Amino acid sequence: MLKGINMFKKEKSEHGLNIVIVGCGKVGSTLVEQLSKEGHDITIIDKDSSRIQMITNMYDAMGVVGNGATYSSQVEAGIDKADLFIAVTDSDELNLLCCTVAKRVGKCVTIARVHTPEYSKEAKYLKEKLGLEMIINPELESAKVISRILYLPTAEEVSSFAHGQVEMVKIRIPEGNSLENVRIKDIGRNVTESVVICAIERNGEVFIPSGEFIIRAGDLLSFVASRKQTLSFLKNIGFKTGKVRDALIVGGGKGTYYLADQLIKAGIEVRIIELNHHTCEKLSVLLPKATIINEDGSNEETLKEAGIESVQAFIPLTGMDEENVLLSLHAKQVSKAKVVTRISRNNFKGIVENMDLGSVIYPKYITSDAIVGYVRARKNSIDSNIETLYQMFDSKAEAIEFKIENKSAITGVALADLKLKHDLLIAFINRGGEIIFPGGSDTIEVGDTVMIVTTHTGFNDVQDILA
Amino acid sequence: MNSPMIRKILGHIMRIEAILMLLPCLVALIYKESVGFIYLTVAGLTAIVGSLLILKRTDDNTLYLKEGCVATSLSWIVLSLIGAAPFAISGEIPSYIDALFETISGFTTTGSSILSDVEALSHTALFWRSFTHWIGGMGVLVFLMSIVSLSGGSTINLMKAESPGPSVGKLTPKIKSTARMLYLIYAGMTIVMIIFMLAGGCSLFDAVTISCGTAGTGGFGIKNDSMAGYSPYIQWVVTIFMMLFGVNFNAFYFLIMRKFKEAFSIEEVKWYFAVIISSIAIIFINIRNIYSSAGEAVRHAAFQVASIITTSGFATADFDTWNTNCKIVLVFLMFIGACAGSTGGGIKVSRFIVMLRTMKKEIGAYIYPKSVKKIMFEGKPADHEMVRSINTYMVTYILLFGISLFLISLQGEDLVTTFTSVTTCINNIGPGLAKVGPTCNFGYMSIGSKLVLMFDMLAGRLELFPILILLHPRMFKDLLVSSVKNMRK
Repeated sequence: MLKGINMFKKEKSEHGLNIVIVGCGKVGSTLVEQLSKEGHDITIIDKDSSRIQMITNMYDAMGVVGNGATYSSQVEAGIDKADLFIAVTDSDELNLLCCTVAKRVGKCVTIARVHTPEYSKEAKYLKEKLGLEMIINPELESAKVISRILYLPTAEEVSSFAHGQVEMVKIRIPEGNSLENVRIKDIGRNVTESVVICAIERNGEVFIPSGEFIIRAGDLLSFVASRKQTLSFLKNIGFKTGKVRDALIVGGGKGTYYLADQLIKAGIEVRIIELNHHTCEKLSVLLPKATIINEDGSNEETLKEAGIESVQAFIPLTGMDEENVLLSLHAKQVSKAKVVTRISRNNFKGIVENMDLGSVIYPKYITSDAIVGYVRARKNSIDSNIETLYQMFDSKAEAIEFKIENKSAITGVALADLKLKHDLLIAFINRGGEIIFPGGSDTIEVGDTVMIVTTHTGFNDVQDILA
Repeated sequence: MNSPMIRKILGHIMRIEAILMLLPCLVALIYKESVGFIYLTVAGLTAIVGSLLILKRTDDNTLYLKEGCVATSLSWIVLSLIGAAPFAISGEIPSYIDALFETISGFTTTGSSILSDVEALSHTALFWRSFTHWIGGMGVLVFLMSIVSLSGGSTINLMKAESPGPSVGKLTPKIKSTARMLYLIYAGMTIVMIIFMLAGGCSLFDAVTISCGTAGTGGFGIKNDSMAGYSPYIQWVVTIFMMLFGVNFNAFYFLIMRKFKEAFSIEEVKWYFAVIISSIAIIFINIRNIYSSAGEAVRHAAFQVASIITTSGFATADFDTWNTNCKIVLVFLMFIGACAGSTGGGIKVSRFIVMLRTMKKEIGAYIYPKSVKKIMFEGKPADHEMVRSINTYMVTYILLFGISLFLISLQGEDLVTTFTSVTTCINNIGPGLAKVGPTCNFGYMSIGSKLVLMFDMLAGRLELFPILILLHPRMFKDLLVSSVKNMRK
């Protein structure tokens, strides 16, 4: 009987959505990787047959060689049966055209990647007028992630939930910290009030800790708390909590524009080094408050002159991963600045992880998280809905915000009485804007938003938390 | 080399074969034949060994092209080695080498036999012999993929190695549903054929075995005179279904999906039928006077043409007695073969289309040396990779053909026998001409010759490279080293 249920569940999950993806660049191939893992029927369209070949050899997807904006290519890719159409080529215009055509030809929901600042400013208008379900902008999203880190530079990573009311913060426990060798339940109430430690990574393995878990030096610790609590918690365990005063960015691409824009708005002084004079001029128009330096950022002298030794944050955003890594390593050597490294491609991840590059962010994962979360929510039953999906620790764990739509087995029952899966934790409950960090007697009610953290993958429905 | 994964695939294949071997047991039960116990025992042992092979977990599920090829060819070899066992143990085919020849001939859908008196076999053995055609026709790994999720999209490399044709595409985004769809079409058409056969007054056993042989384009008959003894109706049914099973299965998929325009605009299929019709016409003109009525002549011409081009190898007439013009046309058909993505063998119509267009382009380049012309195929420009791989395929094919010809010539038979015996095996047809003609068999050949022909059959079915890569010294070493490493673990 038990086996029968399992098999049924497996069958159910195998029945995925029909998804057409145009463009097999970095974002496109990450999407194929993640979505095919979740059991969807994926068809990819790209002009380059060798890219199609490579992806179809690696992942369970069908390829169509052609221009994704043409009717014939879309029909060949089965647009008539598609549930979801995602255009993630490098060109905004093409993406928008693809989605417009798809919307007319099929009955699918469309998602477009739009990343040039001009269009991005009009994202809302475009979305509405072209009937797009979602506009994704990897550069803008990663700029947001970087700026959150710079507001709280002691953290390795900061992400926000419940419309910014709750933050998930990742810190590394240094040698000699007051939390070292402490059992989680023994952490004093005065230190950890309203802070939930939800996941810990040690030597590449991720744990969802119970009260008995003992923290060691070197652990990467993720916790959720409100902004205020985060600051007081970090202060109590001896972390600095001020945001950075100034930032130095190398490279003047789209990512730089979005980041600088965010930082300037937050009152952080920004210096940008860019080699191309024309780009510099453009940036200086777009970002009048920033200091634009027209120099070669990979030159040691230039960096010294721009004040790398005294700056508080250093973010290399050149188009080359290799150059970014090198610049980060250099910055780590010559200054005490908070370094954030952006890795666009994802080769040699093992090496990157073992190098001291400060906080590392992967834009393509940020994008695919948003889409995977959306896709899971689409596939979902009516009991609940995924609001946000956030992959933690290199996809080894997931944080998911569920909106509880209907009464079910989990609503109205004290959490202590629910039989939950192992390696799973309810991080917080958002009840109409009030954030509850739950204890055993709290309940989940209809209308709540619940965030769970788990090392299981593929949760679609809040019911999945039950053992 | 990911040998744990290869081992796992072999384990799965063995389990599938064990299950499939239960069907002849059922036949034995119906006809109350004691050989059924032998099949049951072999199936049981195979299932146990197969399950043991799967038991150990694999960490890495990725199959690169080379692993796909190695796993496929090893699967086919293991499949044949086990499938031959019941024949040899029961003593119906006393020599194991002969039994192996018969089984490989079955799985590769060749249909060349070493038996002189087929009718002496038990029903169980006859069924298993014909059933191997059905299993081999669409491919056992495709079957495996349709039922087991071998996680990861890289299993497309298994399908690439097993499915015939220069390029393998998917019908649906997911490999599992593609495999399932192929088998659904395949099984559905087989059942339709069985119904047509029964409607013609054929006994159930004959209908099932002949349909299995036709569906896989195999050609093992259950009568000594192959299909000659059946009524004209049955012969026409078989003719039409042979032609259908030689069609690219994409066409049937489009039909099911109600995309009629796409289904009827497949270039390869059009050419395939063009070749069939013109061959029937030529042969009809030649044999008109041998037979009493035009209807009979058309029937024999159509049957033989369909049988040879789809590489089935049934026969209703001894075409060895026809004139040379007919025989040459049939030999041409042997090389052309069926469509890519069908159950038939041979070089495939699509390869010939691309090769002829390449030739035309080259000739054009003599007139306007700087002219640029892309080779078109199925309404799309054929990419350079595909053209190159087809050319390489041809060269390899000719070389392998030459070597086999040389080795078989040591047997000391006449030129026609030697030539057609290799032709018929490498193209998975069945009968050749002269001493291996439709009324004769391969039983008299030496063990050495049989081994060469067995190799040719496997190489022909798997389209050369998967089986040749197994002979690459590097593969050998890789496989050995990684197995030893795993053993130590």
